[in-house]
Amino acid sequence: MPRLDALSEVERKTITFFPCMEFDGTPWVPLDKPLSESKVALISTAGLHVRGDKPFISDFKGGDPSFRVIPSNSKPGDILQSHVSIGFDHTGFYKDINIAFPIDRLRELVERRVIGSVSENYYSFMGAIRDPRRVIDNTGPEVAQLLKDEGVDLAFLVPI
Amino acid sequence: MSVLGHVFEGAGISTVSVALVREHAEKVKPPRSLFVPFPYGHTLGKPNDAELQHSVIAAALDLLSRPSGPVLADFDGEGGPGLIQASAVQPSAASIQRTGNGTGNGTNPADELTSMRELYERWVADHDGRTMVGLSGIPQRRFRGTVRFLEEFAENGGADMKERPEDVSVPQYLRYCVDDIKAFYYEARMAQRSKATEEEIHTWFWGETAMAKLILDVAKRMNETDDSELKSFAYGLAR
Repeated sequence: MPRLDALSEVERKTITFFPCMEFDGTPWVPLDKPLSESKVALISTAGLHVRGDKPFISDFKGGDPSFRVIPSNSKPGDILQSHVSIGFDHTGFYKDINIAFPIDRLRELVERRVIGSVSENYYSFMGAIRDPRRVIDNTGPEVAQLLKDEGVDLAFLVPI
Repeated sequence: MSVLGHVFEGAGISTVSVALVREHAEKVKPPRSLFVPFPYGHTLGKPNDAELQHSVIAAALDLLSRPSGPVLADFDGEGGPGLIQASAVQPSAASIQRTGNGTGNGTNPADELTSMRELYERWVADHDGRTMVGLSGIPQRRFRGTVRFLEEFAENGGADMKERPEDVSVPQYLRYCVDDIKAFYYEARMAQRSKATEEEIHTWFWGETAMAKLILDVAKRMNETDDSELKSFAYGLAR
């Protein structure tokens, strides 16, 4: 988004009034090997799921805290979006999924040897979650464990 | 989003995140965050611009070289518009007359949809099967039944489909059906006009199609009830 002072008042208020957790400290884990040898996982909050899997629930109070597994070798037509927010324009995503889920771009980075490999599984959460406590306490740590089990070195987090 | 940076990094995994709202990232303080000036829905810049998308990713990955954090860096690039709001466009009642069962003089949504099918199928064929149609689980060749469902709801304020899974409420299922039909129309239009901008596609859909009029009628009907679930879904339907 542009800086808030460049937006209209309505746009600015929509964003300013969105509840947002404040953190004092920040954990820090340096990448302990070159990026070109690292395994990278893509994590999305675009509300994506694989065709046939359950869509996210739109009216889950506080926001649906669940996650979906998206195999990184999913075919282009396999991925769907149930992020129903009207706060963003879906047309760009219709045109090119990579605009918020750069599945092809990461494959290209492996080919160019910029990154070592991609994980077998990517993960998607719902976005615009007003109450992230269940993500912080439950589903987030679950996905962290799945990433560790797979030997992921770097998680690349992309919102929509 | 960026709370996941805390969760994963706290569990021992390095993270890099992209931030669309700088002010939120300043509060949440994820370990490494790249602020981009693009509108919501356009995180990595522009659709079908692999070069720009790569430059955003590269700038994000560059943050891994920082010795300490939290790091909040700015992507150096042009931002473009703020929010793109499809709902800014409303159909003009004079230009569109939705007619029941195809008996009137205007276009009816079911026939209009059928006339778009070839374009939609071309989009899918040209994009290696990529399509955002599918939330309702109904194959697009049976969307005339979906249109009947929407028409019945707009007419009576109540309708159902046998394809609706038990654990999905009627309002939620209406939303999936409408999202499917919107994706079908948008992708068909993109096959027809490959250079059309987002705003042009919204203007066409909300301003010129009978389907948009039907969707607005469904939303209006949902809004007329006292059911708070229906009302909350109505808000998102017609955008």
